[in-house]
Amino acid sequence: MSRASNRFDTKKVNSELVTLTYGALVAQMVKDAENTDDVSKQLERLGYNMGVRLIEDFLAKTGTGRCMDLKDTADKIQSAFKMYLGVQPNVANWSPGGDEFSFILDTNPLTDLVELPDDLKNLKYCNIICGVIRGALEMVQLDVQSWIVQDQLKGDQNTEIRVKFIRRLEDAMPAGED
Amino acid sequence: MTVHNIYIFNKNGNLLYYHEWNRLKQTGMTREEEAKLMYGMLFSIKSFVNKISPVDPKDGFLYYKTSKYTLHYFETLTGLKFVLNTDINAQGVRELLQEIYNQVYVEYVVKNPLLNLSEPIESEIFKAKLDALVKQSPVFLSRVP
Amino acid sequence: MVIYSIYIVSKSGGLIFNHDHSVSKIENEKPFTFPVDLKLKYENKRIIVEFGQKDGIRPGHVLYAVNGKGLTDRQLDDGQDVFEVLENKNNYPLNLKFGRPKMTTNEKIFLASMFYPLFAIASQLSPEPKCSGIEVLEADTFKLYCFQTLTGVKMIAVADRSQNGVESLLKKIYELYADYALKNPFYSLEMPIRCELFETNLKTLLDVMEKSGIANI
Repeated sequence: MSRASNRFDTKKVNSELVTLTYGALVAQMVKDAENTDDVSKQLERLGYNMGVRLIEDFLAKTGTGRCMDLKDTADKIQSAFKMYLGVQPNVANWSPGGDEFSFILDTNPLTDLVELPDDLKNLKYCNIICGVIRGALEMVQLDVQSWIVQDQLKGDQNTEIRVKFIRRLEDAMPAGED
Repeated sequence: MTVHNIYIFNKNGNLLYYHEWNRLKQTGMTREEEAKLMYGMLFSIKSFVNKISPVDPKDGFLYYKTSKYTLHYFETLTGLKFVLNTDINAQGVRELLQEIYNQVYVEYVVKNPLLNLSEPIESEIFKAKLDALVKQSPVFLSRVP
Repeated sequence: MVIYSIYIVSKSGGLIFNHDHSVSKIENEKPFTFPVDLKLKYENKRIIVEFGQKDGIRPGHVLYAVNGKGLTDRQLDDGQDVFEVLENKNNYPLNLKFGRPKMTTNEKIFLASMFYPLFAIASQLSPEPKCSGIEVLEADTFKLYCFQTLTGVKMIAVADRSQNGVESLLKKIYELYADYALKNPFYSLEMPIRCELFETNLKTLLDVMEKSGIANI
């Protein structure tokens, strides 16, 4: 199947199909796993593997340069949310040292029409997003921690995902350098 | 104007892909040794450029020219390194390398979930697309040896 | 149109001459409040910016002074550990001076000796037969020219990308080297060049070059 010649021609897929696919995946994982924490961890790992590849697509499409500080990084992830999920999160709750911030999502296509049952109250349904952020940033030499602070599925007003800068990663060096 | 060969390295220094179109001299080493030497040289050149640059570097090392060939270098933010050897008169090679990244690597390698990103690229469609892209670029003109 | 520096490397790879003609000093001193919003880390006996930027201060810049006091390694000149000073809220507001890392002489010697093997490997990896080493190396902030004489001595010039005539400049420098260094009976080959006449003439040559271009020499 040949790709359309226009680089930015995203094949439009019904977003409900994405919600359904993700939901079916999570439901199956819950059935296969022993406890909800395992599922949350697996979702994060899934997200990580996706993020590692998504970053190349993002870099290729936007041609953006290296981030000099965390505010740059936050802005770029914000535009990535728009590109890939079609949502516009707010960047807020900066820590005083400027090394932590949050994305506040008031809508989320992954959780449209989803309701968490009582026995899955511990499930971090959106953990895949945390994994994507971690995987993508690791590929550009930023080690970050990403976790869910507020979750609409658990009754909160918004979904809040917090990102914290840990350190810069250096590229692998051949033995004996520097 | 001609393209001699291409090397693609990942951020760990593994050779992901090599192809030659017009190479007139072999180094006498195995492909693996040559790749390691090439990577080591590029790593040192990058470090050299960073230290000797009078102002903060943005893109860093771009290319070097010798009397017979030019080595063009393009590194993505993810540590993927593209190296293209051309003759000394080639123009617009950086754009070609960017196109190879955008249109061939991202499309046929990154987006293929069955391919492991840290192993050599075996995909036939990648090879075909890369070959086609290079051959139809103005940089490439087959030289009859 | 600027020439940044000139290096001369002997046949055996040692740096025998270095002249920094026009090195831009990038230094920024700024006031900071607690907590400092740049991520700093200690590496290679220096404190550098790991991540974060502010008013011209970029990742990779080195901390040179705190409130005007210089520092060596991790300690201020008055003996305090820099990180402790930075952690203590009572010390703020603080003036911190950052700058691009300057090369020490040892680093220059190291770089020069690193250049020669790269030069040789470039020739070895050549896809075409009978290839010389690196003649021009371009990065996005400078262009480096290398002229190798038949005796193996390399004249290297680091210039601005738009600078013209650098190859002829390097040949002229070779002539100066032949005159003021080699014809000086007290200069030993392969040793660092410490001939005043060579340096003065080189400086004049570079000044003329910058002001009126290579055609006037």
